[in-house]
Amino acid sequence: MTYSELVDSIPEYAKDLKLNLGNVMDQSELTPQQAWGTAVACSLAARNRQLYRAVVAEAGARLSPQALFGARAAAAVMGMNNIFYRFRHFSSNQNYGAIPARLRMQSIRTHGTDPADFELWCLAVSAVNGCQVCVDSHEQAVREKGLSEETVMAAIRIAATIHALAAVVGADEAAGATA
Amino acid sequence: MLGVGQKFPPFSMQATVSLEKGKTFRTITEEDYPDKWKVYFFWPKDFTFVCPTEIAAFGKMNKDFSDRDAQVLGGSTDSEFVHLAWRQSHPDLKELPFPMLADIKRELCAALGILDPQEGVAQRATFVVDPHNLIRFVAVNDLSVGRNPQEVLRVLDALQTDELCPCNWHKGEDVLKPVV
Repeated sequence: MTYSELVDSIPEYAKDLKLNLGNVMDQSELTPQQAWGTAVACSLAARNRQLYRAVVAEAGARLSPQALFGARAAAAVMGMNNIFYRFRHFSSNQNYGAIPARLRMQSIRTHGTDPADFELWCLAVSAVNGCQVCVDSHEQAVREKGLSEETVMAAIRIAATIHALAAVVGADEAAGATA
Repeated sequence: MLGVGQKFPPFSMQATVSLEKGKTFRTITEEDYPDKWKVYFFWPKDFTFVCPTEIAAFGKMNKDFSDRDAQVLGGSTDSEFVHLAWRQSHPDLKELPFPMLADIKRELCAALGILDPQEGVAQRATFVVDPHNLIRFVAVNDLSVGRNPQEVLRVLDALQTDELCPCNWHKGEDVLKPVV
């Protein structure tokens, strides 16, 4: 399914989401790379294959291969970190903070794309995956790297809309229908 | 001997990189392989017994090292021609996927402090060096004891599990600034 076919197929009960998607992908507070990287990262994190593949196909025209790689890498590594660091935050036992993570996360260093955009994508994924300490720390990191609160909010609008659509896209297809 | 936290010495020397005519030798310096980790391992002499098993073992694990953005580089104080002859004559070394450094002037081994005082050749030393050319791990075995490349890989893995994510931030602290 292409991106525009996907948008057309969003059911009536989710019309708000359909219209929001058009708007959030067009926000002036975000560069095309920031917007489409956020959409790629969040659709991967939200675990809807159809949605993810359609977004990636559409993003291909707007993202360099390195940026596309970085957006996916952000979703991949944050899928892990959002759970790990959220656990440390959940548990009142402070000792876990002193036990080494022993988890590779080299892509945070080696993603090869714009550092501020990468942090923005990590922040958006953390919002999707629901890790408070991750959201807090990545929000600080993003603003330290020079992005504004308006830019952050714009990315979160995309995260919220994509996450909502991930529940809807393909949900009402008849059994056996192809993607 | 140089230790953890010190800079790997600058060097420039011939290396045996392939058995293919016209492509056998290449000059290698500490500046090659930018952005990569390096695993330098030295042995005393070509054509001896312990060395080929170790070297071949590193060779078999080359992909595991390159998956971790690490370049393996072997070396001894033998010349590049001795390396070539050894690789040609030993079945386990023919397909070696990484360079053999020829530290014939003994400059690098001397700078590293790994020349055996008795024998004048390199001791069985291993250095894991990060992309900023800082030494992060050193190990030396006595001349007759071989190394376990699996252990070197384990160390490399452990060195690469730096918690680079700002999520490791604690309220009230400065935001983590990962070394990029």
